[in-house]
Amino acid sequence: MQDIKFYDCRVIEGSSTSIILDNEKIEEISRNFTRGAGVRALCGGSWGYTSVEGEIDLKQGVEAASKLAFSMNASTPKEDVELADVNSPEVKNLPEVRIDPRDISIEEKVDLLKNIETNAKVKGINSTKVMYLESEFKVEYRSSDGIECAYELMNVGFAVSAVASENGVYQAGRESRFGYGYELFKKENVLELARKAGNTAIELLKAKTPKGGEMPVILDQELAGVFAHEAVGHASEADLVLEGDSILENRIGEQIASPLITIIDDPTLHEFGYYPFDAEGAKSKRTEIIKNGVFNSYLHSRETAAKLGGTPGNCRAQGYSMPVVRMSNTFIDNGDARLEEMLEEIKDGMYLIGSRGGQVNTGEGIFQFNAEKGYLIKNGELTELVRDVSLSGKTLEILNHVALVGNDLKMTAGRCGKAGQLVPVSDGSPHLSISKALVGGA
Amino acid sequence: MYELARKALRLAEKAGAEEAEIYYAANHSTSVNFRKDALENAKDRFSEGIGIRAIVNGAVGFASTNSAAQIDDAVEVAVSEARIRESDPDWVGLPSNEKYPTVSGIFDKKVEALELEACIEHALTLIEGTKEVPGTLPTSGGFTRAKSKQLILNTNGIEIEEESTAVSGFVDVITVNGQTSTAYDFGISRSLDIDFFALGKNAAELALKSSDGIKIEPQKTDVIFHPFAFSDIIEEALAPSFDADNVQKGRSGLIDKLGEELAVPELSIYDDGLIEAGIETSTSDDEGVPSQRTTLIGKGVLETYLYDSYTAGKSGVMSTGNSSRSSYTSPPAVGLRNVIVDYPQTDVIADTQSGIFVNTIIGAHTANSISGDFSVEARNAFTIKDGALDKPIKSLMISGNAFEILKQITGAGFDVRKVGGIITPSIRVSDMSVIG
Repeated sequence: MQDIKFYDCRVIEGSSTSIILDNEKIEEISRNFTRGAGVRALCGGSWGYTSVEGEIDLKQGVEAASKLAFSMNASTPKEDVELADVNSPEVKNLPEVRIDPRDISIEEKVDLLKNIETNAKVKGINSTKVMYLESEFKVEYRSSDGIECAYELMNVGFAVSAVASENGVYQAGRESRFGYGYELFKKENVLELARKAGNTAIELLKAKTPKGGEMPVILDQELAGVFAHEAVGHASEADLVLEGDSILENRIGEQIASPLITIIDDPTLHEFGYYPFDAEGAKSKRTEIIKNGVFNSYLHSRETAAKLGGTPGNCRAQGYSMPVVRMSNTFIDNGDARLEEMLEEIKDGMYLIGSRGGQVNTGEGIFQFNAEKGYLIKNGELTELVRDVSLSGKTLEILNHVALVGNDLKMTAGRCGKAGQLVPVSDGSPHLSISKALVGGA
Repeated sequence: MYELARKALRLAEKAGAEEAEIYYAANHSTSVNFRKDALENAKDRFSEGIGIRAIVNGAVGFASTNSAAQIDDAVEVAVSEARIRESDPDWVGLPSNEKYPTVSGIFDKKVEALELEACIEHALTLIEGTKEVPGTLPTSGGFTRAKSKQLILNTNGIEIEEESTAVSGFVDVITVNGQTSTAYDFGISRSLDIDFFALGKNAAELALKSSDGIKIEPQKTDVIFHPFAFSDIIEEALAPSFDADNVQKGRSGLIDKLGEELAVPELSIYDDGLIEAGIETSTSDDEGVPSQRTTLIGKGVLETYLYDSYTAGKSGVMSTGNSSRSSYTSPPAVGLRNVIVDYPQTDVIADTQSGIFVNTIIGAHTANSISGDFSVEARNAFTIKDGALDKPIKSLMISGNAFEILKQITGAGFDVRKVGGIITPSIRVSDMSVIG
């Protein structure tokens, strides 16, 4: 079909192991082998996409995707899609793996989990769960404009949760770490993290639910990182901008945040969102989304970069799904304030810690995040522990109400679920002090 | 791979498995998606694979693959994993072959035969629906049709094969003038009985009606949850506590509550794997136990938890047919079938003097699934005045507890919707705490 002006294929082969230890019992050891491919074809202004699992006939895949693109374009022709140019990426500087998890026996991994669980079971904890995950995969990319590249990556990590209950009240504490290489378990003090999960659950039992309302707040690194990713990062994804579903549309060059705020997406960092090239073969690179309060750049795929002007490198996919514009390692850059200064400055308000997830409406620029816990701040001091607290408001208002930015940037690994596809990401921030925000409580 | 399932079962026995199970699933889906009001892409996805459970000395191993060449390896891995594990005293056995119910409405030949051109038409119809309402634009959406095939084989003689179809439509709409507001609508069904034009139109009307929202004072008031909002609360804050696995492990808010009056006496909630054309309807659950209808809450009283064969064996009861898998790559676990919320229906908005109507919520997944506590942001919310929707509310947070809600339900609408597997009308709850 001569009308097909571009096609590409990604072949992914990999395996994963998961072990779940639940209340001192091995609940699951499972292993999964996968192989599959995703093929895209572009005809005029329409994309065709096909994915196949198992044995792959790429030629057939390209034909099927081409046929879809061709039919779509024939029935609803529209403006041609242009793609920004990319060069074949050089794959180097992959995260180092000192201890290959495959060299560690299942028995040893189970022992580690048991040890983690024992530590999470501090006095008063009545239920625990520990999960170990390990995956290795190889990605091969090839496109009709001559790009060919490949890489292999291996992830490992764990998550622990502990539940305490008293008089019909249940509270949970959770911790997790993900990275590259089994040395993660030595580098991170996993047993201490397990104890922390246990202690959090116990503490929360005694915590009260505060009265909600508008007040000054301090966000810890994790919650501020979630804000950077969810509220700002997603709104800067160029596909959402093109859908008209972003509050940041037509804002490049505008002061949209306090000058203290710089937000960066950087897939080259060896954090959990690392990749050497994206799902379109574009070399990964650092992007300053907001620079000193000024909105600086969207995140792009080849298509959105051609359309809006920009550099591709943020197009990603889970397995062999169709790639979409995604973040990688997204963070608010360090400022120079210390937490003590923030407390002094704020006097009365709330210190919100950790995240239990949240959601964002990028079109309206509003969000809602649940904190794991919080402390009331009275007269510049942390006082009572509180639970079931959430933060909500307008993204741009929060960005402008940032009063101080800390100097203690910390990244947290996680998975982002945009478009129904989970990809590894990390997000982070130093502590942030915000002069006014809406806190939800009882 | 389908042809290799039986061979894999024999291989597992040969490798030393005392019991074994092969779960085969194949899925072919076609979707046509749009961005703004232009079609963007068409996707065709073929997925096929098997999951193997092997049991040795009361210990279970699991492995899965989508590659025919790796089936032998996967079987070996499943058996050797089972050998590594200690014997589980709670393991009773894989389910055995039984009499199976007949279910209907889950396979539609017309959906199976749907050509790409017809899929394109349905996607365009969604867009046309939004165009009925000036001042709005779709942002994204699409039409999907899928055909699935499932085969469950085990060494106790189970051999169940089933095919099913599904279609769905989704549309997200934004207003183009003045204060921005958004809304969405979606529908999912086993057959082509969704009015896609109406979906588009509803979403656009709702987005438009929601703009220029007012601020309201924090208060306690009657809140009516649209089926979209109420099903989110059920799924995230309430349902996990019905799961027998959570109950056995101390992670449910319903431990020791069987027989207790949990809800107002007018309320019943059923879990039902048999209803005609249900999204979670099938002959058996995902490990071959016959599907059934289970009363979870009968006239306000908690009657049972939900069990798969493992949790049932552990508690010495019968499985309720709630074994569920998200894909062939995961071992089965307890999951919901169709969940039906039953409460006497009235024209519930007309019966409400003052209160708030909430179409959708965001953040339900952040609920505490054990205690039932939630704090969510309400979307497309309106004040109710003298029995009618009055003004849109710009921003609204609702905090509450799923278990307390059950005791505070005072009404339900006629507007029953299938929100995936959850089937519910709009539900009115008294005395909810809201912050504007």
